[in-house]
Amino acid sequence: GPAGTSPGISALGVKGCPRCAWIWALGLRRHILLPQEHFKVDCISFSCPFFAVYQVFESVAKKYDVMNDSMTLGIHRVWKDILMRKMNPSPGTLLLDVAGGTGDIAFRFINYVHSAQERQLQQKLKNHQNLSWQEISESYQEDKFKLLGDSQVVVCDINKEMLKVGKQKAQHLGYSEGLSWVLGNAEELPFDDNKFDVYTIAFGIRNVTRIDLALEEAYRVLKPGGRFLCLEFSHVSNPLLSRLYDLYSFQVIPVLGEVIAGDWKSYQYLVESIRRFPPQEELKAMIEDAGFLKVDYQNLNSGIVAIHSGFKL
Amino acid sequence: ALPGPPGRAAGPAGRESSSRRQPLACCCRPGSGGKGCQRANPSYLLLRLFVCLFSLTCLARYEEATNELINEELGIAYPIIDGIPNMVPEAARTTQKKPPAEGSKQP
Repeated sequence: GPAGTSPGISALGVKGCPRCAWIWALGLRRHILLPQEHFKVDCISFSCPFFAVYQVFESVAKKYDVMNDSMTLGIHRVWKDILMRKMNPSPGTLLLDVAGGTGDIAFRFINYVHSAQERQLQQKLKNHQNLSWQEISESYQEDKFKLLGDSQVVVCDINKEMLKVGKQKAQHLGYSEGLSWVLGNAEELPFDDNKFDVYTIAFGIRNVTRIDLALEEAYRVLKPGGRFLCLEFSHVSNPLLSRLYDLYSFQVIPVLGEVIAGDWKSYQYLVESIRRFPPQEELKAMIEDAGFLKVDYQNLNSGIVAIHSGFKL
Repeated sequence: ALPGPPGRAAGPAGRESSSRRQPLACCCRPGSGGKGCQRANPSYLLLRLFVCLFSLTCLARYEEATNELINEELGIAYPIIDGIPNMVPEAARTTQKKPPAEGSKQP
């Protein structure tokens, strides 16, 4: 509204938060957090959770993969493999991987459709038994350009450092085709409606300030028939396992953070963000609220991690 | 300073239709003298997927000289830094060549 009738930034309790000041100036009112939604995180200087998260990821970006392996004892790779198998993408799929900074999901997607495409190719060649070696070689050359079968993955992340690490990894590992990198906000995606076949967010949604907005955006950019997949730490119901998990999270992980990444506070923050995150049923309800149908979840390792799935129908 | 964006909940007058997402004709429009469709090119794909966060319409083009993605309609440009398009409002700049029209929303 006109100046003088809207509450000032200080009234909303976001004074001193650079991100919210910007958001206010740009008129994106509904992104402003109410005072009770801002929380004081002892280890992070800004009281705005968005900025706190941003700073955390800026500092952990370079050691992100190493830390993932140490914290989860390498099991995060298995979780991501399971996610990809669940997705089961066919060649020609357009994937949006949100908060996918360092590219773990994107690379797996490319590998998956690549193998699927190769299998199809071999099947095709098998059916042409009477080709000469030359003809076979030529046909392989032709199809090499379509080895991904028009599959594409767009990696979208809010953090420049994470994207840079991801791009470097891609170069290092030899991924070039079918992969794009975009700096964007999960709560306000710079993509048109009804574009993507699959939307994934792996270990990213707990870092989004307004999960409801991110889910709405996911719904918007998916094509009708498109699938939403979320891989995230969740709640362990078994009391004994829960106790062990807590012990591990609060006692071991920050220590690993300090030893490996020289950063205790960021990893303590990460552990706390996991605890704050809604449990399976609550997240399922939020996903349904965004409009998704056939919403379901699959617990991995007794609920340490869960994959939520929904469809835009 | 940038003009206040319409926001997703309710746009300015005239933009409240539910079919707010009619894309602008893009570079692949016939007779546009465009560079031709390179379907496998990820940048080309992105240009077709992107929308300007302020106008909610698709971006018109990529400007090679300044390495930016341009929304002609509102005169807004998004930078591409280190090969990564920065599609956030904070990164956008205006490319107004003439003074804004009457009834401007500029502060």
